[in-house]
Amino acid sequence: MVLADRSRVKSPWILHFDTGSCNGCDIETWALLTPIYDLERFGVVNEANPKHADLLLVTGPVTKKVEDRLRNLYSQMPEPRIVIAVGNCACTGAPFDDCYNVLGGIDRVIPVDVYIPGCAARPEAIIDGLVLGLKKWRERKFSPHVDIQPGREVVTEEASK
Amino acid sequence: MLVLGPVAIGLLLGIDRKITARMQGRVGPPIVQPFYDLVKLLAKSPMVMNNGQIVFAFSCLVLQVAALALLVFRGDLLIVFFLSGAGSVALVLGAFSARSPYSYFGSQRELLQILAYEPVLLLVILLIGFDNETFTVRNLDTSLLPSLGLALLALMIVLVIKLQKSPYDIATAHQEIVSGPYVEYSGPFLGVTKLAHWFELAVVLGIFTLFYWNPNAIVSIAGKLAIVAVAMFVTQLIDNSTSRLTRERMLTFTLVFGTLLVAINFALVYLMKQGVM
Repeated sequence: MVLADRSRVKSPWILHFDTGSCNGCDIETWALLTPIYDLERFGVVNEANPKHADLLLVTGPVTKKVEDRLRNLYSQMPEPRIVIAVGNCACTGAPFDDCYNVLGGIDRVIPVDVYIPGCAARPEAIIDGLVLGLKKWRERKFSPHVDIQPGREVVTEEASK
Repeated sequence: MLVLGPVAIGLLLGIDRKITARMQGRVGPPIVQPFYDLVKLLAKSPMVMNNGQIVFAFSCLVLQVAALALLVFRGDLLIVFFLSGAGSVALVLGAFSARSPYSYFGSQRELLQILAYEPVLLLVILLIGFDNETFTVRNLDTSLLPSLGLALLALMIVLVIKLQKSPYDIATAHQEIVSGPYVEYSGPFLGVTKLAHWFELAVVLGIFTLFYWNPNAIVSIAGKLAIVAVAMFVTQLIDNSTSRLTRERMLTFTLVFGTLLVAINFALVYLMKQGVM
Protein backbone atom coordinates (compact mmCIF):
# COMPACT_ATOMS: atom_id res chain seq x y z
CA MET A 1 0.00 0.00 0.00
CA VAL A 2 2.98 2.26 0.61
CA LEU A 3 3.93 1.73 -3.01
CA ALA A 4 0.41 2.57 -4.17
CA ASP A 5 0.36 5.79 -2.12
CA ARG A 6 3.75 6.81 -3.41
CA SER A 7 2.78 6.10 -7.01
CA ARG A 8 -0.45 8.06 -6.59
CA VAL A 9 1.45 11.15 -5.44
CA LYS A 10 3.95 10.71 -8.25
CA SER A 11 1.45 10.38 -11.06
CA PRO A 12 -1.49 12.79 -10.80
CA TRP A 13 -3.39 12.96 -14.07
CA ILE A 14 -5.37 16.12 -14.63
CA LEU A 15 -8.80 16.73 -16.03
CA HIS A 16 -9.24 20.43 -16.69
CA PHE A 17 -12.79 21.72 -16.90
CA ASP A 18 -13.98 25.23 -17.65
CA THR A 19 -17.33 25.90 -15.96
CA GLY A 20 -17.76 29.38 -17.41
CA SER A 21 -14.42 31.04 -16.94
CA CYS A 22 -13.28 34.13 -18.82
CA ASN A 23 -10.36 31.91 -20.03
CA GLY A 24 -7.85 33.87 -17.94
CA CYS A 25 -7.30 30.98 -15.53
CA ASP A 26 -7.42 28.50 -18.42
CA ILE A 27 -4.48 30.21 -20.10
CA GLU A 28 -2.55 30.08 -16.84
CA THR A 29 -3.44 26.39 -16.44
CA TRP A 30 -2.23 25.57 -19.94
CA ALA A 31 0.97 27.47 -19.21
CA LEU A 32 1.79 24.72 -16.71
CA LEU A 33 2.46 22.29 -19.53
CA THR A 34 4.89 24.58 -21.35
CA PRO A 35 8.68 24.22 -21.04
CA ILE A 36 8.83 27.09 -18.50
CA TYR A 37 6.75 25.37 -15.82
CA ASP A 38 6.85 21.80 -17.23
CA LEU A 39 4.52 20.02 -14.82
CA GLU A 40 5.25 16.70 -16.51
CA ARG A 41 8.43 16.52 -14.43
CA PHE A 42 6.09 15.72 -11.50
CA GLY A 43 4.35 13.07 -13.57
CA VAL A 44 1.38 15.30 -14.34
CA VAL A 45 -0.40 14.47 -17.57
CA ASN A 46 -3.34 16.37 -19.00
CA GLU A 47 -5.68 13.47 -19.71
CA ALA A 48 -8.86 15.23 -20.91
CA ASN A 49 -10.81 12.15 -19.84
CA PRO A 50 -12.61 11.88 -16.47
CA LYS A 51 -12.22 8.11 -16.40
CA HIS A 52 -8.42 8.35 -16.48
CA ALA A 53 -8.01 11.45 -14.32
CA ASP A 54 -7.13 11.82 -10.63
CA LEU A 55 -7.33 15.59 -10.29
CA LEU A 56 -10.24 17.72 -11.38
CA LEU A 57 -8.99 21.24 -12.07
CA VAL A 58 -11.96 23.56 -12.38
CA THR A 59 -11.82 27.18 -13.56
CA GLY A 60 -14.64 29.69 -13.55
CA PRO A 61 -17.94 30.16 -11.69
CA VAL A 62 -20.51 27.39 -12.12
CA THR A 63 -23.22 28.50 -14.49
CA LYS A 64 -26.63 26.84 -14.32
CA LYS A 65 -26.11 25.22 -17.72
CA VAL A 66 -22.85 23.58 -16.74
CA GLU A 67 -23.90 22.34 -13.28
CA ASP A 68 -25.05 18.89 -14.44
CA ARG A 69 -21.97 18.43 -16.59
CA LEU A 70 -19.66 19.23 -13.70
CA ARG A 71 -21.49 16.75 -11.48
CA ASN A 72 -21.40 14.18 -14.28
CA LEU A 73 -17.65 14.57 -14.84
CA TYR A 74 -16.99 14.36 -11.10
CA SER A 75 -19.00 11.17 -10.73
CA GLN A 76 -17.16 9.56 -13.65
CA MET A 77 -13.78 9.95 -11.96
CA PRO A 78 -12.72 6.81 -10.05
CA GLU A 79 -11.69 7.21 -6.40
CA PRO A 80 -9.42 8.50 -4.96
CA ARG A 81 -9.73 11.92 -6.58
CA ILE A 82 -9.01 15.53 -5.75
CA VAL A 83 -10.93 18.62 -6.81
CA ILE A 84 -9.02 21.87 -7.18
CA ALA A 85 -10.81 25.19 -7.66
CA VAL A 86 -8.55 27.50 -9.68
CA GLY A 87 -9.11 31.24 -9.43
CA ASN A 88 -11.43 33.52 -7.49
CA CYS A 89 -14.47 32.65 -9.59
CA ALA A 90 -14.11 28.91 -9.01
CA CYS A 91 -13.56 29.49 -5.27
CA THR A 92 -16.48 31.79 -4.54
CA GLY A 93 -18.09 32.93 -7.75
CA ALA A 94 -16.35 36.30 -7.21
CA PRO A 95 -17.95 39.10 -9.25
CA PHE A 96 -20.47 36.73 -10.82
CA ASP A 97 -21.77 35.39 -7.50
CA ASP A 98 -25.19 37.02 -7.68
CA CYS A 99 -25.68 36.79 -11.44
CA TYR A 100 -29.01 35.29 -12.49
CA ASN A 101 -27.30 32.51 -14.48
CA VAL A 102 -24.54 31.62 -12.01
CA LEU A 103 -24.68 29.32 -8.99
CA GLY A 104 -21.43 30.57 -7.46
CA GLY A 105 -18.30 28.67 -6.49
CA ILE A 106 -17.54 25.03 -7.35
CA ASP A 107 -18.27 23.95 -3.78
CA ARG A 108 -21.97 24.61 -4.32
CA VAL A 109 -21.99 21.56 -6.60
CA ILE A 110 -19.14 19.20 -5.71
CA PRO A 111 -16.82 18.98 -2.69
CA VAL A 112 -13.58 20.91 -3.18
CA ASP A 113 -10.22 19.94 -1.65
CA VAL A 114 -8.04 22.89 -2.55
CA TYR A 115 -8.92 26.50 -3.29
CA ILE A 116 -6.46 28.56 -5.34
CA PRO A 117 -7.29 32.29 -5.23
CA GLY A 118 -6.18 34.79 -7.83
CA CYS A 119 -7.56 36.65 -10.81
CA ALA A 120 -6.17 35.04 -12.80
CA ALA A 121 -4.46 32.45 -10.55
CA ARG A 122 -0.77 32.53 -11.35
CA PRO A 123 0.87 29.31 -12.61
CA GLU A 124 3.10 29.28 -9.50
CA ALA A 125 -0.01 29.43 -7.31
CA ILE A 126 -1.58 26.57 -9.24
CA ILE A 127 1.56 24.44 -8.78
CA ASP A 128 1.42 25.33 -5.07
CA GLY A 129 -2.21 24.24 -4.87
CA LEU A 130 -1.44 21.04 -6.73
CA VAL A 131 1.33 20.20 -4.28
CA LEU A 132 -1.05 20.97 -1.40
CA GLY A 133 -3.58 18.58 -2.92
CA LEU A 134 -0.94 15.86 -3.25
CA LYS A 135 0.04 16.47 0.39
CA LYS A 136 -3.53 15.83 1.43
CA TRP A 137 -3.34 12.64 -0.58
CA ARG A 138 -0.21 11.59 1.25
CA GLU A 139 -1.95 12.27 4.56
CA ARG A 140 -4.95 10.31 3.26
CA LYS A 141 -7.33 13.23 3.65
CA PHE A 142 -9.50 12.63 0.63
CA SER A 143 -12.59 14.62 -0.13
CA PRO A 144 -15.53 13.03 1.70
CA HIS A 145 -17.25 10.60 -0.60
CA VAL A 146 -20.74 12.00 -0.82
CA ASP A 147 -23.58 10.96 -3.02
CA ILE A 148 -24.25 14.14 -4.95
CA GLN A 149 -27.90 14.82 -5.62
CA PRO A 150 -28.86 17.54 -8.08
CA GLY A 151 -29.71 20.76 -6.31
CA ARG A 152 -28.08 19.72 -3.06
CA GLU A 153 -25.49 22.05 -1.62
CA VAL A 154 -22.21 20.52 -0.56
CA VAL A 155 -20.07 22.52 1.83
CA THR A 156 -16.59 21.41 2.78
CA GLU A 157 -14.86 22.40 5.98
CA GLU A 158 -11.74 23.65 4.20
CA ALA A 159 -12.14 27.39 3.82
CA SER A 160 -10.51 29.50 1.15
CA LYS A 161 -6.99 30.44 2.10
CA MET B 1 12.79 -12.99 -19.25
CA LEU B 2 9.00 -13.08 -19.08
CA VAL B 3 9.08 -10.60 -16.16
CA LEU B 4 12.16 -8.79 -17.40
CA GLY B 5 10.52 -8.05 -20.77
CA PRO B 6 7.73 -5.75 -19.53
CA VAL B 7 10.06 -4.20 -16.92
CA ALA B 8 12.48 -3.32 -19.70
CA ILE B 9 9.59 -1.93 -21.77
CA GLY B 10 8.50 0.24 -18.81
CA LEU B 11 12.01 1.63 -18.50
CA LEU B 12 12.24 2.17 -22.27
CA LEU B 13 8.96 4.10 -22.23
CA GLY B 14 10.27 6.16 -19.30
CA ILE B 15 13.46 6.97 -21.19
CA ASP B 16 11.30 7.70 -24.22
CA ARG B 17 9.28 10.30 -22.28
CA LYS B 18 12.46 11.81 -20.87
CA ILE B 19 14.12 12.14 -24.28
CA THR B 20 10.93 13.52 -25.82
CA ALA B 21 10.79 16.13 -23.03
CA ARG B 22 14.43 17.06 -23.61
CA MET B 23 13.81 17.40 -27.34
CA GLN B 24 11.03 19.86 -26.49
CA GLY B 25 13.22 21.81 -24.06
CA ARG B 26 11.56 20.43 -20.91
CA VAL B 27 12.96 18.56 -17.93
CA GLY B 28 10.58 15.62 -18.23
CA PRO B 29 9.33 13.00 -15.77
CA PRO B 30 11.60 10.53 -13.96
CA ILE B 31 12.56 7.40 -15.89
CA VAL B 32 10.45 5.15 -13.64
CA GLN B 33 7.34 7.25 -14.34
CA PRO B 34 5.52 4.49 -16.32
CA PHE B 35 5.73 2.24 -13.24
CA TYR B 36 4.24 4.95 -11.01
CA ASP B 37 1.43 5.35 -13.54
CA LEU B 38 0.81 1.61 -13.73
CA VAL B 39 0.78 1.03 -9.95
CA LYS B 40 -1.45 4.04 -9.42
CA LEU B 41 -3.93 2.79 -12.01
CA LEU B 42 -3.98 -0.71 -10.53
CA ALA B 43 -4.60 0.77 -7.05
CA LYS B 44 -7.55 2.94 -8.09
CA SER B 45 -11.10 1.92 -7.32
CA PRO B 46 -12.68 -0.12 -10.12
CA MET B 47 -15.40 1.43 -12.25
CA VAL B 48 -17.11 -1.03 -14.53
CA MET B 49 -18.98 -0.24 -17.74
CA ASN B 50 -19.99 -3.84 -18.38
CA ASN B 51 -18.60 -7.29 -17.68
CA GLY B 52 -17.61 -7.91 -21.29
CA GLN B 53 -15.15 -5.04 -21.17
CA ILE B 54 -13.32 -6.62 -18.22
CA VAL B 55 -13.26 -10.05 -19.84
CA PHE B 56 -11.76 -8.58 -23.00
CA ALA B 57 -9.21 -6.51 -21.07
CA PHE B 58 -7.96 -9.57 -19.21
CA SER B 59 -8.05 -11.81 -22.29
CA CYS B 60 -5.97 -9.17 -24.09
CA LEU B 61 -3.41 -9.37 -21.27
CA VAL B 62 -3.40 -13.18 -21.20
CA LEU B 63 -2.94 -13.43 -24.98
CA GLN B 64 -0.07 -10.93 -24.99
CA VAL B 65 1.61 -12.70 -22.06
CA ALA B 66 1.22 -16.02 -23.91
CA ALA B 67 2.75 -14.49 -27.05
CA LEU B 68 5.74 -13.15 -25.13
CA ALA B 69 6.13 -16.45 -23.24
CA LEU B 70 6.27 -18.35 -26.51
CA LEU B 71 8.88 -15.94 -27.86
CA VAL B 72 10.95 -16.08 -24.66
CA PHE B 73 10.86 -19.88 -24.56
CA ARG B 74 11.97 -19.84 -28.19
CA GLY B 75 8.84 -21.22 -29.75
CA ASP B 76 7.18 -20.74 -33.12
CA LEU B 77 7.26 -17.16 -34.48
CA LEU B 78 4.02 -17.60 -36.43
CA ILE B 79 2.09 -18.63 -33.31
CA VAL B 80 3.63 -15.64 -31.48
CA PHE B 81 2.30 -13.40 -34.24
CA PHE B 82 -1.20 -14.90 -34.16
CA LEU B 83 -1.47 -14.74 -30.34
CA SER B 84 -0.33 -11.12 -30.25
CA GLY B 85 -2.73 -10.23 -33.08
CA ALA B 86 -5.61 -11.90 -31.22
CA GLY B 87 -4.66 -9.83 -28.15
CA SER B 88 -4.90 -6.59 -30.16
CA VAL B 89 -8.32 -7.63 -31.46
CA ALA B 90 -9.47 -8.45 -27.90
CA LEU B 91 -8.68 -4.85 -26.87
CA VAL B 92 -10.73 -3.55 -29.80
CA LEU B 93 -13.68 -5.82 -28.89
CA GLY B 94 -13.52 -4.55 -25.31
CA ALA B 95 -13.64 -0.98 -26.57
CA PHE B 96 -16.59 -1.83 -28.85
CA SER B 97 -18.53 -3.23 -25.89
CA ALA B 98 -19.02 0.26 -24.40
CA ARG B 99 -21.67 2.51 -25.91
CA SER B 100 -19.48 5.55 -26.40
CA PRO B 101 -18.80 7.40 -29.65
CA TYR B 102 -15.15 8.06 -28.78
CA SER B 103 -14.64 4.42 -27.95
CA TYR B 104 -16.28 3.41 -31.24
CA PHE B 105 -14.17 5.84 -33.26
CA GLY B 106 -11.06 4.66 -31.45
CA SER B 107 -11.75 0.99 -32.06
CA GLN B 108 -12.52 1.53 -35.74
CA ARG B 109 -9.21 3.33 -36.08
CA GLU B 110 -7.40 0.66 -34.06
CA LEU B 111 -8.82 -1.93 -36.47
CA LEU B 112 -7.48 0.14 -39.38
CA GLN B 113 -4.07 0.24 -37.70
CA ILE B 114 -4.14 -3.54 -37.26
CA LEU B 115 -5.05 -3.77 -40.95
CA ALA B 116 -2.05 -1.57 -41.74
CA TYR B 117 0.72 -3.19 -39.69
CA GLU B 118 -0.39 -6.81 -39.38
CA PRO B 119 0.22 -7.78 -43.07
CA VAL B 120 3.69 -6.18 -42.97
CA LEU B 121 4.55 -7.98 -39.72
CA LEU B 122 3.26 -11.29 -41.10
CA LEU B 123 5.26 -10.86 -44.32
CA VAL B 124 8.42 -10.10 -42.34
CA ILE B 125 7.93 -13.24 -40.23
CA LEU B 126 7.25 -15.30 -43.36
CA LEU B 127 10.46 -13.90 -44.86
CA ILE B 128 12.40 -14.83 -41.71
CA GLY B 129 10.95 -18.32 -42.09
CA PHE B 130 11.88 -18.48 -45.80
CA ASP B 131 15.41 -17.24 -45.16
CA ASN B 132 16.17 -19.67 -42.33
CA GLU B 133 13.83 -22.49 -43.39
CA THR B 134 12.35 -22.52 -39.90
CA PHE B 135 9.88 -20.48 -37.85
CA THR B 136 11.15 -21.81 -34.52
CA VAL B 137 13.21 -19.24 -32.64
CA ARG B 138 15.30 -22.02 -31.09
CA ASN B 139 16.78 -22.86 -34.50
CA LEU B 140 17.47 -19.23 -35.47
CA ASP B 141 21.12 -19.19 -34.49
CA THR B 142 22.26 -16.62 -37.01
CA SER B 143 22.17 -12.85 -37.37
CA LEU B 144 19.23 -11.89 -39.55
CA LEU B 145 20.58 -8.38 -40.11
CA PRO B 146 22.92 -9.07 -43.09
CA SER B 147 20.26 -10.76 -45.19
CA LEU B 148 17.11 -9.06 -43.87
CA GLY B 149 18.08 -5.39 -43.47
CA LEU B 150 15.15 -4.13 -45.53
CA ALA B 151 12.75 -6.27 -43.51
CA LEU B 152 14.07 -4.51 -40.40
CA LEU B 153 13.16 -1.18 -42.03
CA ALA B 154 9.66 -2.52 -42.66
CA LEU B 155 9.48 -3.55 -38.99
CA MET B 156 10.27 0.06 -38.03
CA ILE B 157 6.93 1.12 -39.55
CA VAL B 158 5.21 -1.55 -37.45
CA LEU B 159 7.02 -0.30 -34.33
CA VAL B 160 5.96 3.32 -34.91
CA ILE B 161 2.31 2.25 -35.11
CA LYS B 162 2.54 -0.12 -32.14
CA LEU B 163 4.20 2.54 -29.98
CA GLN B 164 1.28 4.92 -30.78
CA LYS B 165 3.69 7.50 -32.14
CA SER B 166 3.25 10.30 -34.66
CA PRO B 167 2.57 10.23 -37.57
CA TYR B 168 0.58 7.05 -36.96
CA ASP B 169 -0.95 7.63 -33.51
CA ILE B 170 -4.30 7.50 -35.23
CA ALA B 171 -6.27 5.35 -32.78
CA THR B 172 -5.16 7.15 -29.61
CA ALA B 173 -5.09 10.62 -31.20
CA HIS B 174 -5.26 12.60 -27.99
CA GLN B 175 -6.34 15.99 -29.36
CA GLU B 176 -8.98 14.40 -31.57
CA ILE B 177 -10.62 11.44 -29.89
CA VAL B 178 -9.16 11.62 -26.35
CA SER B 179 -7.52 8.20 -26.14
CA GLY B 180 -9.39 6.02 -28.59
CA PRO B 181 -9.94 2.40 -27.54
CA TYR B 182 -8.74 3.16 -23.99
CA VAL B 183 -11.29 5.92 -23.41
CA GLU B 184 -13.89 3.83 -21.56
CA TYR B 185 -11.40 1.82 -19.50
CA SER B 186 -10.67 3.28 -16.09
CA GLY B 187 -8.67 2.51 -12.96
CA PRO B 188 -7.31 -1.04 -12.66
CA PHE B 189 -8.75 -2.13 -16.02
CA LEU B 190 -6.92 0.69 -17.77
CA GLY B 191 -3.85 -0.58 -15.91
CA VAL B 192 -4.47 -4.08 -17.26
CA THR B 193 -4.74 -2.82 -20.84
CA LYS B 194 -1.57 -0.74 -20.36
CA LEU B 195 0.26 -3.80 -19.07
CA ALA B 196 -1.03 -5.77 -22.05
CA HIS B 197 0.36 -3.04 -24.30
CA TRP B 198 3.76 -3.39 -22.61
CA PHE B 199 3.74 -7.11 -23.32
CA GLU B 200 2.72 -6.39 -26.92
CA LEU B 201 5.66 -4.00 -27.31
CA ALA B 202 7.93 -6.60 -25.71
CA VAL B 203 6.85 -9.06 -28.42
CA VAL B 204 7.60 -6.59 -31.24
CA LEU B 205 10.94 -5.52 -29.77
CA GLY B 206 11.64 -9.22 -29.13
CA ILE B 207 11.37 -9.79 -32.87
CA PHE B 208 13.81 -6.87 -33.32
CA THR B 209 16.31 -8.64 -31.06
CA LEU B 210 16.28 -11.68 -33.36
CA PHE B 211 18.13 -9.63 -35.97
CA TYR B 212 21.45 -9.92 -34.18
CA TRP B 213 23.10 -13.03 -32.83
CA ASN B 214 26.65 -13.92 -31.83
CA PRO B 215 28.17 -17.11 -30.37
CA ASN B 216 29.54 -14.97 -27.53
CA ALA B 217 26.58 -14.37 -25.16
CA ILE B 218 27.73 -10.91 -23.98
CA VAL B 219 28.35 -9.61 -27.51
CA SER B 220 25.03 -11.10 -28.54
CA ILE B 221 23.07 -9.32 -25.79
CA ALA B 222 24.93 -6.04 -26.39
CA GLY B 223 24.08 -6.22 -30.11
CA LYS B 224 20.42 -6.99 -29.40
CA LEU B 225 20.20 -4.06 -26.96
CA ALA B 226 21.87 -1.77 -29.51
CA ILE B 227 19.27 -2.68 -32.14
CA VAL B 228 16.41 -1.97 -29.70
CA ALA B 229 17.98 1.32 -28.59
CA VAL B 230 18.50 2.51 -32.17
CA ALA B 231 14.95 1.50 -33.11
CA MET B 232 13.47 3.36 -30.13
CA PHE B 233 15.55 6.47 -30.82
CA VAL B 234 14.52 6.53 -34.48
CA THR B 235 10.83 6.32 -33.51
CA GLN B 236 11.36 9.23 -31.10
CA LEU B 237 12.94 11.30 -33.86
CA ILE B 238 10.06 10.46 -36.18
CA ASP B 239 7.53 11.20 -33.41
CA ASN B 240 8.95 14.63 -32.63
CA SER B 241 9.46 15.76 -36.21
CA THR B 242 6.14 14.75 -37.78
CA SER B 243 2.48 15.50 -37.24
CA ARG B 244 -0.38 13.04 -37.47
CA LEU B 245 -1.37 11.80 -40.92
CA THR B 246 -4.78 10.64 -42.05
CA ARG B 247 -5.97 7.04 -41.85
CA GLU B 248 -5.89 6.63 -45.62
CA ARG B 249 -2.29 7.80 -45.89
CA MET B 250 -1.25 5.43 -43.09
CA LEU B 251 -2.92 2.52 -44.84
CA THR B 252 -1.50 3.26 -48.30
CA PHE B 253 1.99 4.07 -47.02
CA THR B 254 2.39 1.04 -44.77
CA LEU B 255 0.85 -1.44 -47.18
CA VAL B 256 2.65 -0.14 -50.29
CA PHE B 257 6.01 0.83 -48.80
CA GLY B 258 6.13 -1.96 -46.19
CA THR B 259 5.24 -4.75 -48.58
CA LEU B 260 7.56 -3.28 -51.22
CA LEU B 261 10.49 -3.39 -48.79
CA VAL B 262 9.69 -6.98 -47.84
CA ALA B 263 9.25 -7.92 -51.52
CA ILE B 264 12.66 -6.48 -52.50
CA ASN B 265 14.23 -8.22 -49.52
CA PHE B 266 12.52 -11.47 -50.55
CA ALA B 267 13.93 -11.15 -54.07
CA LEU B 268 17.44 -10.57 -52.68
CA VAL B 269 17.19 -13.56 -50.33
CA TYR B 270 15.86 -15.71 -53.18
CA LEU B 271 18.71 -14.70 -55.46
CA MET B 272 21.22 -15.38 -52.69
CA LYS B 273 19.72 -18.80 -52.14
CA GLN B 274 20.02 -19.54 -55.87
CA GLY B 275 23.67 -18.58 -55.69
CA VAL B 276 23.30 -15.64 -58.09
CA MET B 277 24.63 -13.12 -55.57
